[in-house]
Amino acid sequence: MGIVLGIESSCDETAAALVTTDRTILAQHIASQDEAHAPYGGVVPEIAARAHAERLAPMIEAVLADAGMSLDECDAIAATAGPGLIGGVMVGLVSAKALAMASGKPLMALNHLEGHALSPRLADASVEFPYLLLLVSGGHCQILSVEGVGKYRRLATTIDDALGEAFDKTAKILGLGFPGGPAVERLAREGDAAAVPLPRPLKGSAEPHFSFAGLKSAVLRAKESGEHRDADIAASFQQAAIDCILDRLAKAIGSAPPADTLVVAGGVASNAAIRGALETFATNRGMRFTAPPPALCTDNAAMIAWAGCERLALGHSDPLDIAARPRWPLDPDAESVRGAGVKA
Amino acid sequence: MRTLVIETATEACSIALFEDDALLGSDHRVFGRGHAEHLVPMISDLPGKGRAERICVSLGPGSFTGSRIGIAAARSLGIAWRSEVFGFPTLALVAANARTEGKRQAVAVAMNGGHGEWFVQSFDESGLPRAAHCSRTSDDAVAVMADELVAGTKASALIEARGYGTALEAHPDARLFDLLPPSLLTENLAPLYGRAPDAKVPA
Repeated sequence: MGIVLGIESSCDETAAALVTTDRTILAQHIASQDEAHAPYGGVVPEIAARAHAERLAPMIEAVLADAGMSLDECDAIAATAGPGLIGGVMVGLVSAKALAMASGKPLMALNHLEGHALSPRLADASVEFPYLLLLVSGGHCQILSVEGVGKYRRLATTIDDALGEAFDKTAKILGLGFPGGPAVERLAREGDAAAVPLPRPLKGSAEPHFSFAGLKSAVLRAKESGEHRDADIAASFQQAAIDCILDRLAKAIGSAPPADTLVVAGGVASNAAIRGALETFATNRGMRFTAPPPALCTDNAAMIAWAGCERLALGHSDPLDIAARPRWPLDPDAESVRGAGVKA
Repeated sequence: MRTLVIETATEACSIALFEDDALLGSDHRVFGRGHAEHLVPMISDLPGKGRAERICVSLGPGSFTGSRIGIAAARSLGIAWRSEVFGFPTLALVAANARTEGKRQAVAVAMNGGHGEWFVQSFDESGLPRAAHCSRTSDDAVAVMADELVAGTKASALIEARGYGTALEAHPDARLFDLLPPSLLTENLAPLYGRAPDAKVPA
């Protein structure tokens, strides 16, 4: 059995965790920066970087203390090396490099998206390659065929906003504050999902990509019209998002290698309505559905440590001079999609 | 006692390993960007991979990212080696240039500060600050900083604009650490940013 220390600092969560190769989370800490960013209505990169720099080292000491371990007992040090906000990524990656060099352990400089992509295998040992992954977060919205560690085929991406971004912007329009995903979900429970006519962008189009910018604009118009209850707007928006997801997934499955498991990961995967809809979708197609528990869906370090465990088993490691990458597609061979930009 | 000194708050990336006052090894490069890639390998190339009972790191002000990189590395090395970690102000290390070869001179430090401003601070003959560091426009810095001797990356610019004095054009250099007054070492490892984040709260 091996033990990997994982570090995550690519957006607005500072996190550290110790995970074993037999899937035990020995310790994990996570500190949200929501309060620091809330006045700005979104994540401010410099404020995020300052918070990571302040919090990360004590957090690493805390997870080691919680597990009753010293660094010498770890088998590898893993950190997110991108994609993300570069100032924060650098804090985590340089910390990991120093820990690895000083302790003589291998460094794993990991793609944050790989952490999300492999997290279902941390939560559930029976999830085997290949599987179909819907990765939905504040920065990303992709459908991937996960064929092995380091082997990801991107089937679809968003051409404008990520799904989590659409939830946050809807929350802002409805005055629900930041972060908006959980707030929109709560309000949607009190609303009528059929009350507000909203578009389903790209539904029925030949390519399985996503678009949410038009949906967000329609939410703004619905709010400004003064004709609808906020709860109805929230519920209708969430239903429109679900309809888009299911339509795009059905399209992507047609072009994907056969897989008997559908997995959802990323922060938006903690949305119970979306999980429920995906479960029904998978069941109707004879696929198994699985989703990591919500705490492993939002950004966390256990998934980074786990991705490190997966790579440790394959004997991978990275050099100490490796650079952080603000942009880092999981599938480097994926064709660029018009408008997709950094979210590809 | 063995001490590892780390300085990454400016365009320079500078490290030094001391046994008491004796310099065992060092590396000093000026490359603007690239601290996050080069720093740890540079430390790894020092004798004993730089392992020390005490780690002293430059806190800024300087580059926000650079300051964080040095501090993150120092704190992590401290965890791994169970070493004491201290911070020191970056401009005080630049001021140490005024006390090389047995000299004892008062000095003003003027460094590139970002947004066209300079980080400035005045130091006495023993290397102790006479006032807090601050970020000023170049015109303000020229008007206010009156020391005959000026050190730092904006030393020549300040002397030229002011019309008198001597410039010691210099980046902070970890090898001058033993000239730093020990009273400037602090256990508080918060970066000295010198400026607030640029983001403004929406109206």
